[in-house]
Amino acid sequence: MCHVSVGHVARTIESAGIPTVAVYVKAFEKVARKMRLPRVLLTPNPVGRPLGAPGDRERQAAVVRAALELLETASEGGMVREFDEPYRPRPGHAGKG
Amino acid sequence: MSEPVTETFEAFKNSFFYGSRCDLAFKFLKNLSSEEAGEFFRELIENLGRTVDDGDAGRLVRLAVEWQARAYAGEGAGRWTYEDAPFAPLEKPVRDSVVGLLTSSGHFVEDDDPEPFGVKHMTQQEACRRIKDFLKAPPTLSRIPADVPAEGLRVRHGGYDVRAARADPNVVFPVDRLRELEAEGAIGRRAGTFYSFVGACSQLRLLRDHAPRWAELLRDEGVDAVLLVPV
Repeated sequence: MCHVSVGHVARTIESAGIPTVAVYVKAFEKVARKMRLPRVLLTPNPVGRPLGAPGDRERQAAVVRAALELLETASEGGMVREFDEPYRPRPGHAGKG
Repeated sequence: MSEPVTETFEAFKNSFFYGSRCDLAFKFLKNLSSEEAGEFFRELIENLGRTVDDGDAGRLVRLAVEWQARAYAGEGAGRWTYEDAPFAPLEKPVRDSVVGLLTSSGHFVEDDDPEPFGVKHMTQQEACRRIKDFLKAPPTLSRIPADVPAEGLRVRHGGYDVRAARADPNVVFPVDRLRELEAEGAIGRRAGTFYSFVGACSQLRLLRDHAPRWAELLRDEGVDAVLLVPV
């Protein structure tokens, strides 16, 4: 449901004239495509970790950079790009429930 | 003597979805048929067996990601399917733009708890138990000053496994990463305020009453582009 919520927010903000880019995990690719969002970056990550594993600063930054790049390069709405680098869990950074 | 309790496999796999074994990382099991869920457990055990010998837990992570994707593959946007995609071009390069951040991760600043339904210090467990209430209620937008470091944030959300988002908010709310990108000149500057809400909320009220106000808020704050991250 969260993925639909952000879809609504993306469409509304973009329609108000502010460009948006959304980072979805691949598991929810269908939601992003069906909602025809302006710009979407898909990452091959587990749900709940769309930018990277806890503590993986390098990959989190790479995903944010790729998303910002899409803001500049997209020439029309409905752009979906894939971020291919695999997810890398980092020992010692697990969170608690 | 008490009667032996028998549980069907169907009931067992569904119990991970807000049931007796609720686990938000594996609630997807409910989306699988019993045959598929059986195959998931078989593969899990087979891969666990291999990991005992070589310690390469990466294959377990890949298995979890693969099955999450399989389980959610059928999940479209229901009635919220559109033909057209809105598009507003970026007017200047990102390195000259004011960049905002808005996520559905349920983060908030410590001591600025949105107190859902008037409950003070609601726990993650309670949010999980009350997921149906959240889904009927309007969303609450938490304001997060962009200068608050990740350690100053808290998270609560009854819809997803928050362990990673709690250990390091940057996995979904990249406040530290955006600060670094500003420092190196990759973005013009960060917006003064970032935002987060619990995406498990009434879709109608979000769409009709709240999202348009959030768009106005961002425009009034002079934001040139927004990074959105759903969970």
